[in-house]
Amino acid sequence: MLLNRTHMKKIFTLIVLSVIFLGTQAQDFDKNLSTAQTAYASGNLEEARFAMQQMLTDIDMMIGQEVLKVLPTKMGAHNANVANDNVTANAGFAGVMIHREYGSGEKLYNLDLIGNSPMVATINAFLSLPFVANSGDGTQKVVRISGYKAMLQKSVDEERKVTDYTLQVPLGSTLLTFTAPNTTEDEVIKLANTIPVAEITKLVQ
Amino acid sequence: MKYKFLVVCLAVVALSTPANAQGLVGKLKQKANEAASKALEKKVDEKIGIDDGQPSESTPSSSTNSGTSESRSRAQNKTGGGLVSTPPDVKSNLADADKSFKSKSYGQARYAIQQAMLGVEMEIGQKVLATMPASVKGLDRIAESDQVTSTGYGWAGLTIQREYAKGDQELRAMVANNSMMMAAVNMYLASGGYAQTTNGQQNWKHTKVKGHRGIIEYDDSSGYKLSVPLGQTSLLVWEGINFASEQEMMSAAEAFDIDGIMKMLGEK
Repeated sequence: MLLNRTHMKKIFTLIVLSVIFLGTQAQDFDKNLSTAQTAYASGNLEEARFAMQQMLTDIDMMIGQEVLKVLPTKMGAHNANVANDNVTANAGFAGVMIHREYGSGEKLYNLDLIGNSPMVATINAFLSLPFVANSGDGTQKVVRISGYKAMLQKSVDEERKVTDYTLQVPLGSTLLTFTAPNTTEDEVIKLANTIPVAEITKLVQ
Repeated sequence: MKYKFLVVCLAVVALSTPANAQGLVGKLKQKANEAASKALEKKVDEKIGIDDGQPSESTPSSSTNSGTSESRSRAQNKTGGGLVSTPPDVKSNLADADKSFKSKSYGQARYAIQQAMLGVEMEIGQKVLATMPASVKGLDRIAESDQVTSTGYGWAGLTIQREYAKGDQELRAMVANNSMMMAAVNMYLASGGYAQTTNGQQNWKHTKVKGHRGIIEYDDSSGYKLSVPLGQTSLLVWEGINFASEQEMMSAAEAFDIDGIMKMLGEK
């Protein structure tokens, strides 16, 4: 009960902080929009362009915060470590990076989204060639997560005697990666199916 | 009978070994890949009209086609006005971005900003082209080769290109702004990647164009290449073919308003 209260408190704090953050981000966007419009009208093209680059960053940060809001606060028996939530905007280069963790220690699950990921093309190529994507040794296979095609990779750690899984879901130019250490294939697919992929896709595209 | 039994046993052992099974699957994959590649090559050859000397399956044949199958070849396009190459309107895209942002359609807002950036970058490119001379050392500008390229992403950069030519002499001027390759160029310049040597033929050296540091290179097949980094994120490159000397190449580069280009690109 005490743990639940602490957890609830953390989530509440996160919501309050998110609201404050989104408010600030929206103000930045408005400020940069106004700078871009003024600079363009006065013929200062380079300043207008710089302000627009800032606007892209503002948008990416907003998208990141919105995605974090739709992610589940709990995955299986593991609570989200909301204190480690992270959104990084790179002014367009690799796009926005969104990170959330679930659980702890040996059972620390990571959920990452990378916008404009250079890996997306490779994964899509694999997904379109099932006889290549489904490796004969069982370390790699194509699965469906909430209706979306995904690539599941298995790696066995002989020393620790555990099996780790990495699931990659290309969503347009964004790559969703879910890593689940020390688990089973059924478990990782079950957990991944709790990720609201359709909602995320709508936000990032 | 004994022989047959032995052969069957050997086949069972071979297929039941995982490594051999994988090898077999691998070979199957390879064969499938080869077949797919051949089919693709054939299709491409057909499209570009190369005859491989073998009878084509898709060639209409009076004896095999009974008339029920589609044998008509595709019509060739002879008309059409191409695409309108007007740059995106900056003001309307900024207004769209504002509207989409307020309605929380962040993806739409992002797209509108990228379009606005594309519009601004195209305008910057045209302004830079306007500062370049109409002729350099007797070489005239080739108007149709003026080029401004932008993706509107910011990071992929903006490139501006102009060409000059007369007879067999050519000069190409290219400005790259916000380009990822700038990081590599600056690192190369800073790390002394171009180490001066005394032995052998010197194919490059440090130089200065109107007070801006750069590097000039020479190659027997491609001629002279002069690269001058501008500020933090831009690069100006000249490529000269059939220039008589280094001095001639340098004076051609000096015909350009480097400070003006820097200012236009917002470089300090």
